[in-house]
Amino acid sequence: MDALTGRGLIRDDEVFLRMNRVERLQHILLIVSFSLLVVTGLPLMFYEMRLFKAVFSYGRVFYYRGVIHRAAAVLLIADIIWHFGYTILTRRGRENFRELMPRRKDALDAVALFGYNVGLSRWLTRKGLLRRFFDRHPFWKFENPPEYGRYNFIEKLEYLAVAWGSLVMIFSGFFMWNVELSLSMFPLWLHDIFAIAHGYEAMLAFLAIIIWHMYNVHLNPEVFPMSRIWLDGKITGHQLKTLHAIEYRKILAAREKALGPQPAEPGPDIPPGA
Amino acid sequence: MSRSGFVARFALPAALVFLAAAPLSGQPSDDDCLVCHGDSGLKGGQGQSLFVDGAKSAASIHGSAGISCVDCHSDLAKVSDFPHAGKLKPVACASCHEAAAAAVGQSAHGSAHSGPKPFAVLCKDCHGTHEIRASADASSRTFSLNIPETCTACHLSRVPNARGPGFVGQYLQSVHFRALSKAGLNSAATCVSCHGGHDVRLVDDSRSKVARPNIISTCGACHAGIERDYLEGVHGKAYVKGSRDVPVCTDCHAEHDIRSPADLGSIVYATKVAAVCSRCHDDESLARQYGLLTSRLKTYAASYHGMASKSGETRVANCASCHGHHDIRPSNDPRSSVNPANLAATCGTCHAGAGVNFSKGRIHVVSERTENRWAYTVKIVYLVVIGGLISVFLAFIAADLYRRLRGRWTR
Repeated sequence: MDALTGRGLIRDDEVFLRMNRVERLQHILLIVSFSLLVVTGLPLMFYEMRLFKAVFSYGRVFYYRGVIHRAAAVLLIADIIWHFGYTILTRRGRENFRELMPRRKDALDAVALFGYNVGLSRWLTRKGLLRRFFDRHPFWKFENPPEYGRYNFIEKLEYLAVAWGSLVMIFSGFFMWNVELSLSMFPLWLHDIFAIAHGYEAMLAFLAIIIWHMYNVHLNPEVFPMSRIWLDGKITGHQLKTLHAIEYRKILAAREKALGPQPAEPGPDIPPGA
Repeated sequence: MSRSGFVARFALPAALVFLAAAPLSGQPSDDDCLVCHGDSGLKGGQGQSLFVDGAKSAASIHGSAGISCVDCHSDLAKVSDFPHAGKLKPVACASCHEAAAAAVGQSAHGSAHSGPKPFAVLCKDCHGTHEIRASADASSRTFSLNIPETCTACHLSRVPNARGPGFVGQYLQSVHFRALSKAGLNSAATCVSCHGGHDVRLVDDSRSKVARPNIISTCGACHAGIERDYLEGVHGKAYVKGSRDVPVCTDCHAEHDIRSPADLGSIVYATKVAAVCSRCHDDESLARQYGLLTSRLKTYAASYHGMASKSGETRVANCASCHGHHDIRPSNDPRSSVNPANLAATCGTCHAGAGVNFSKGRIHVVSERTENRWAYTVKIVYLVVIGGLISVFLAFIAADLYRRLRGRWTR
């Protein structure tokens, strides 16, 4: 394989750090606080279910539910503040943030991945249908899966969703926690909207995590039963090459540059998807 | 005290004392009777005790008034040959206690009940016999603290009750009985306080003290301030007009099982109030008849107050916290606690510093569409976004799995 990875500058078994210790810890804090918040909060959206009624009316469970919910909220806020500081103050944080910003390419990537997975265009091409259209717009052929940088559109979407969700939840939750403060500023009907938004945003976040994130990091056959990146933060050169080809080439280019000009050699070969 | 009562209690005994002072020849004296009946081992033909405790009967209200044995056992007055015949006539209390006897005759006790083993209730069943004392006397069977024991002797199980067994016994858990038995408060309500004494009647008799039209004044006899509040409220006003649909005291507080609202078993315990009110306020036919707003319980249950209350939180608002209890008024009444002008104060009892913003919105929101359009918009947007995003996610996952599986099939 070394022959493929330009002058052997990146070996397949070389280990890269995808999540450093701080990032992993922030992620774990997010898991803990999010889970606690979901468990202690979301059942209120389904207050009519007999199970929740039975559990909540047992002893002082309902009271402690509230206490834990607010404690978890404080933990989440602390985690976000830490992440905020980390993003602003460290070079790696700033770099990650830049890489996480959505671009036009991400939307195209999403379309391309979907089109590639479905394979309709390839079938049409094989049958010789719509040839002129495909010749003029080769993008729609979806011959190869899209190539990603450090973060693919899925990861970017998740990051931005967490950012947006936290904003909504912390804002609305803060005013639900401090009813008197809220109502000293806002009319009751607006306060009611905070409560509604808090509940529905929670539903959205929960479903997004349980469906989208769980598939991408657990159930996806590529990583099943679980991607271990969140635990050890490690990614191999091979994984980098296949999953984050643009980032891979970037590292390769940087190393080549550091090594000085060499006789012409084929660039890194991009293996098609799977 | 009625005039006949006065005659029975004072004038008559006085006359008898006077007469006793000049003993009539031929009438057996109490001492004559006690020659035999003072023997604690004296038994009748069926083995029943014929013992009469001379000291107790002398200390009884009759004995201390100088009424002798034969004044009551009048068929022995003329007897001089002892021992006398076995069977005596029943004592006719009515010969002196005319008014009381007449009242009992009209009452539920005046006729045999409809149970499997009917029996008529006699004076002695409640008052006892030789040892009868004034009801103000702490050892009397009709003294307030002793009344429950006297009545429950029959009514706990012997007498069938239309409301089922155990209905009467519920009184023994009530706040009234606790006050009586634990606090020793002799002004606490006993059976007699609500049902009457001699003139006790069945609840479906309109003259009964516990009949619906009379219950407010019956409870109000002690709870005067609450009666006044109730009559000023929306329920009381309709009650005075003769409505039979408005709640009276017993509808919210139970009948025998009346407990303190702080008692977990009370039906007006903080977390159970909503269930009590919604019996009527979630009733479609009552709502139609009186133009009440429905879905009160449903909308309350959907609120944080409702959820927390349902889960046993007592500090959150229940119906009564905002609407009041005895003097509940319609919200258009300027004195109503839920009149928009008073909401800041009402909500402020829990939410300190609550301002006018509390009145800028609705509490029991039945339909966001008509009552809070922005909230409705937010809800719809969220539903669309959630539905849309989840569909996209699932589509991506399906496409991904499809490609992987197809790769496996064709390989």
